[in-house]
Amino acid sequence: MARMKFLCDADRCIECNACVTACKNEHEVPWGINRRRVVTINDGLPGERSVSMACMHCTDAPCASVCPVDCFYTTDDAVVLHNKDTCIGCGYCSYACPFGAPQYPQTANFGTRGKMDKCTYCSGGPEPDMSQAEYVKYGANRLAEGKLPLCAEMCSTKALLAGDGDIIAEIYRERVVTRGYGSGAWGWRDAYGETVTV
Amino acid sequence: MNILAKFGAALSLAFAVAVMAPQAQAQVNPTAESVSEEALFQALGTEGVVSGRVSIPDQSAGNLIKPVNKDWAALHGNTVVTLSVIAVVGMLALLTLFYVVRGRIRVDSGLSGRTILRFNSIERFAHWTLASTFIILALSGLNLIIGKSVILPLLGEGAFGTLSAWGKIAHNYLAWPFMVSLALIFLLWVIENIPNKLDVEWIKVGGGLFKKGVHPPAKKFNAGQKVIFWSVILGGAALSYTGFMLLFPGIAGSFTDWQFYQLIHALVAAGLSAIIIAHIYIGSVGMEGAFDAMGSGEVDENWAKEHHALWVEEVKGGKSGSAKGAATPAE
Amino acid sequence: MLVKRRTREAASGGRLSQFAASVAAKPLDRRSFLRASGLTVGGLAAVATLGAGMTRRVEAAGFTDMSQPIELKKNICTHCSVGCSVVAEVQNGVWVGQEPAFNSPINRGTHCAKGASVRELVHGDRRLKYPMKKVGGEWQRISWDQALNEIAEKMTEIRANSGADSVYWLGSAKFSNEGSYLFRKLAAFWGTNNVDHQARICHSTTVAGVANTWGYGAMTNSYNDIRNAKTIIFMGSNAAEAHPVSLQHILEGKETQRANVVVLDPRFTRTAAHATEYVRIRPGTDIAVVHGMLWHIFENGWEDKEYIAQRVWGMDQVREVVKNYTPEVVEEISGVDGDTLRRVAEKFAKERPSTFIWCMGGTQHTVGTANVRAYNLLLLATGNVGGEGNGANIFRGHCNVQGATDFGLDVANLPCYYGLSAGAWNHWARVWDVPYEYFVNRFDAVPAKGGRDARTPEENMNVPGITSTRWFDAVTIDNEEIDQQDNIKAMMVFGHGGNTVPRMQDAQRGMNDLELLVVADPHPTTFAALHSRTDNTYLLPICTQFETSGSRTASNRSVQWGEKVVEPIFESDTDYAVMYGLAQRLGFADEMFKNYEMVQGKFGMEPTPESVLREINRGGWSTGYTGQSPERLKAHMANQEHFDLVTLRAKPDAPEEIKGDYYGLPWPCWGTPELRHPGTHILYNPSLHPMEGGGAFRPRFGLERDGETLLAEGSWPVGSEIEDGYPQFTYALLQQLGWDSDLTPEELANIARIGGNDPEAMGNVSWSLDTSGGIQRVALMHGCVPFGNGKARAVAWNLPDPIPVHREPIYSGRPDLVAQYPTNDDRRQHRMPNIGKVVQQDVTERNVFGDFPLILTSGRLVEYEGGGEETRSNPWLAELKQDMFVEINPADAQSRGVVDGGWVWVTGPEGGSKARVKALVTERVAPGVAFMPFHFAGWFQGEDQRGNYPEGTDPIVLGESVNVITTYGYDPVTGMHEGKVTLCQIAAA
Repeated sequence: MARMKFLCDADRCIECNACVTACKNEHEVPWGINRRRVVTINDGLPGERSVSMACMHCTDAPCASVCPVDCFYTTDDAVVLHNKDTCIGCGYCSYACPFGAPQYPQTANFGTRGKMDKCTYCSGGPEPDMSQAEYVKYGANRLAEGKLPLCAEMCSTKALLAGDGDIIAEIYRERVVTRGYGSGAWGWRDAYGETVTV
Repeated sequence: MNILAKFGAALSLAFAVAVMAPQAQAQVNPTAESVSEEALFQALGTEGVVSGRVSIPDQSAGNLIKPVNKDWAALHGNTVVTLSVIAVVGMLALLTLFYVVRGRIRVDSGLSGRTILRFNSIERFAHWTLASTFIILALSGLNLIIGKSVILPLLGEGAFGTLSAWGKIAHNYLAWPFMVSLALIFLLWVIENIPNKLDVEWIKVGGGLFKKGVHPPAKKFNAGQKVIFWSVILGGAALSYTGFMLLFPGIAGSFTDWQFYQLIHALVAAGLSAIIIAHIYIGSVGMEGAFDAMGSGEVDENWAKEHHALWVEEVKGGKSGSAKGAATPAE
Repeated sequence: MLVKRRTREAASGGRLSQFAASVAAKPLDRRSFLRASGLTVGGLAAVATLGAGMTRRVEAAGFTDMSQPIELKKNICTHCSVGCSVVAEVQNGVWVGQEPAFNSPINRGTHCAKGASVRELVHGDRRLKYPMKKVGGEWQRISWDQALNEIAEKMTEIRANSGADSVYWLGSAKFSNEGSYLFRKLAAFWGTNNVDHQARICHSTTVAGVANTWGYGAMTNSYNDIRNAKTIIFMGSNAAEAHPVSLQHILEGKETQRANVVVLDPRFTRTAAHATEYVRIRPGTDIAVVHGMLWHIFENGWEDKEYIAQRVWGMDQVREVVKNYTPEVVEEISGVDGDTLRRVAEKFAKERPSTFIWCMGGTQHTVGTANVRAYNLLLLATGNVGGEGNGANIFRGHCNVQGATDFGLDVANLPCYYGLSAGAWNHWARVWDVPYEYFVNRFDAVPAKGGRDARTPEENMNVPGITSTRWFDAVTIDNEEIDQQDNIKAMMVFGHGGNTVPRMQDAQRGMNDLELLVVADPHPTTFAALHSRTDNTYLLPICTQFETSGSRTASNRSVQWGEKVVEPIFESDTDYAVMYGLAQRLGFADEMFKNYEMVQGKFGMEPTPESVLREINRGGWSTGYTGQSPERLKAHMANQEHFDLVTLRAKPDAPEEIKGDYYGLPWPCWGTPELRHPGTHILYNPSLHPMEGGGAFRPRFGLERDGETLLAEGSWPVGSEIEDGYPQFTYALLQQLGWDSDLTPEELANIARIGGNDPEAMGNVSWSLDTSGGIQRVALMHGCVPFGNGKARAVAWNLPDPIPVHREPIYSGRPDLVAQYPTNDDRRQHRMPNIGKVVQQDVTERNVFGDFPLILTSGRLVEYEGGGEETRSNPWLAELKQDMFVEINPADAQSRGVVDGGWVWVTGPEGGSKARVKALVTERVAPGVAFMPFHFAGWFQGEDQRGNYPEGTDPIVLGESVNVITTYGYDPVTGMHEGKVTLCQIAAA
């Protein structure tokens, strides 16, 4: 089985936000919830780089370790998913996540957090694959259709890579060799405990 | 050098440029100067946060990578859970041991059959509101700490999820009567809980808890009860404040604040739970006659004389036979 | 595949747990999410309207039911000019999903934020839902019939009182080719040349500058071809935000070629962030900078001497002018030092192929045409036009701005750049099968006034109309001053924002003074909200190109066919149907639509776009729009995977019907479809046979000048039987060469018919007038380019500045330089006076710079497009940029007490203009420079105009328009406005 990962090649990312709206489009993610976002470091200064970030689907995910109701699970593709029926919206996973992935609708008591929502690596949730129930809670399940996450598939400059970690690392490595520079596999150290060395 | 410092440096450079020549131009190779993750983290250090600009209103989304969050996860996942379990289980073990050794503390002079009013209905209402909400809050809170290892295997995921969801609702809603009754208790009893010299005496002899027949004098509240009072007031206040912030994350501010509040909330809750367990013990099975004070409000005169001799004097001396004015300050 | 750890246990826990789950914080289902969205908008000003709007969304509209059949439809993104294919999944007539169009050689599955969210356009909560009119200041719903009847009646009345020229036809770069063509034809049938569209404000100066240099006004190469470049210069282009998908090709090219990417721009743009060299210039000094580079090139002998000798006329005169632009002079004007320019110039001249990319940063100036000409000179001097990896890569703006330009949504052209001469009118009259006199009868006679001579209708047909940048002046100006029968009285605005040209205070006055205002658009634009009109104002809901079919021309001239994804939503209808409905009521539908196949549309009859395109194929000879039949275009869309990524050519294993073609048959695609010309990937490229897409510069300016030939010398396309330069092909030239015998009898008969059987007239029938295509076919057969083989003009003697010279902007940040580098002299152009010089002198004398010491420039954001009403109505995009802002340098911010994210007032030097926006304090702009994006509207000088939109159609995000602040200034050639340099002041609000 593949070990699915994301890798954003910041030397390609131009902050076009296609990943963000592709995600909104594919899953009808409502206003205020940003499963994916683009952060620009050194904005407006020489050395500016943008990185598209969402749930990185960590190895030994810290969100899972702090979840009081144990609603997280990891699929055979190493995608970290969660069960919204169990989730109580406590917010702990958002404190634990190094990447700011967990999102909350402000629908619960006193206008506080509702059930957590985050990037599913376009692979739905615990409901039967591609069912309407799954779609309503988690969005589309592209992985079950044999497709990769839409954010990466639609990335304007092919900066955002999704797929088996070894394969995308190799693609990135080749790019760095070809062009002679690379700002790194952002977040890999913290998500996967390793980085892509060239 | 953190990002701010970098930005500051860039700013000062800009000012310098601006002062020297208004038309001075930047000619740079942006590709060569691009930041790399490795260099950035080296510059930021282990506590660093890689952050930048986002155009969405949620400015916390500007934090790109924040490795320290994993430290909180480890702290919460291991240390806090362990401490909580130690506090609760430890106190239970301690009390069991105490019970085995000391047994139930009896009224040495036997029950007189005469009662005096120790706590009026307002006091009892406040106490029981506080007590009942605290218990549910504590249990629902404890569920978040150990539920997944203890209850989940027993109930299965669906029922546990439902229970926890109810627990969260209960926790969020009951926090409000808890806070109101906490404030009420504070107003009702604060004067009588101001520490004084008597408390020193009381503490010196261990409150007589450990030896039969020893009864240091006390007013309405003895030093042990004062400890409980202040623990509840201060701990409760801490829980209320941090809880409020956790309930309204928008007010609290940043993720770091939430992490901090959550940590305090969890640790205080664990400590206070341990204290309250002891309180429950001594107020029920631990001491004969103690429960009546909060049960009916009327306590046996002999019990009162043994544990709150000075208070009995005050009550009797003031308004003989009547305890209607119990709530009025004694001195 | 994916293995689920567990199924829904939660639901199996009995009713109590189900109930518990329902009262607990709800699962994140779409409906509750949307319902709650009103609570979550936070920073958004329009809490109430958003909440209400969003809840009306179709429930789970994006769910794809895998058990039901899914139709895949392919169309083209309706935003920028890159031409990304969009693959739509349609189920039961609902667009349920967007899939990557991996097969498209242009976007290879990718999109930008706008393209990745186009599905929302056809859910369109905020779309205009039915025809509306304003009655006593209130919007009222009406029927299509009533709307078109009333509009036609009012138009007829205006025509009777003020003449045909009083109705202004403002068209759209978002029309399909067929829609653009019909719109131009509609204006011709109505009897006016007052027809324009967005190209006026984006690349009109490019078209004028480039066409005046080497023949055609278009991008010479393609986005894909930039992969071959070794040096890439961006000047006044922020492609990373304006054309994001193009960066896929550019960045991959940069990586694989280790190419130099140089960005010359006042602003450190997102494109600059990926450059290998960023050079900051003072806004409006492009000519000085480019001449500064040329100075080094000539000084060091880096120019391509052979290329210049063979293919360029007049470079020596340029050399003389450039001598004035020494490094010192250039630094004084632009702020760029000589060493930097030397370095950039050397790379551009030596590390070839080099390409030069520009956009509105170069074009939107009073010197727009001259800027473009300067860029061209740099390309010509270094031999960088007409080959792989080089060229003038002009990134056009809207999805079909190239096509709409080609089809003459322009005050000075009939379709395909035929101009307005009697010959042009005769050509199209023949194609349209309508007598020439018909049009003469439709045009106004213009009385003598203001010291100008009167014009007959026939003469009036040849006079360019009023540009879209000045329409409001034409409403309010003194009648004596306007060179037509009467002022503009009616605006027919199809798909065009009202906030995209400067001086919006004047635009507002213009809107208020109109007798009739018709807005035909998927969204009510600024044209519907800015004014205080109470009546005679109509909104017609037009569907997007996803709800109809037709072709569109991308920036690289590739023509792509889009198929209808879903039926027009709500009561919206197609451009085709609305134009037909209008023509019917105006009484010329039978003549205008007689060549088309008419089908039943949503509310009435409409022409099929296929039949319109076939008519274009029969008439578009001058531009090579004749080979792109609907069948060929559809075959390309169906076989996209067979085209090469870099050359765009169909590979040898491609199906027969596309084999050898370039993707989208980029024009010129000569001859009839049957000739199977492959299209032209790279213009003016002599290294290919003309039948393989080769070409040469077009000799359209005569045969000689100053005793020197204007034909190429020693350069010809591969396979040419004439091994030297030659003029355009006419029947007479064929006879001269003895090639006339290659014409078929049918072709010859057609030439004879056009020539009226008069031998001399027959001899003058050219490659562009011969509607049989015979002359083109024969020329190509002999390896010749139908339009000839000429030299590019380094000196364009017909322009105000034959060789560009630096001229200060009207509102200059360097008033001390104005005397030495004044703007062009005042003149009359496009039926109006242009008093730029008077204004500049006044501005300098009053020391406006003293009160408004910041240079204000403007530009694009990736999330929004054009005037922005459509994109600001799309929640997926609107969420990403919720506030209008001004970028200000930290130094300027500090001295003004302005903080990042705080509100500021930006004030402008004309009419006390002001705008309340948020400050974005950033080094992106230099000290003394401020930047504002141009996509916002709906606030006007601090006033929220949300209530002016019909209920439920107000865009989610509103904001101040930069064009409230921008000021007077028009290019003397095209009337392009000055959108990139004005002055302003900023103060904390």
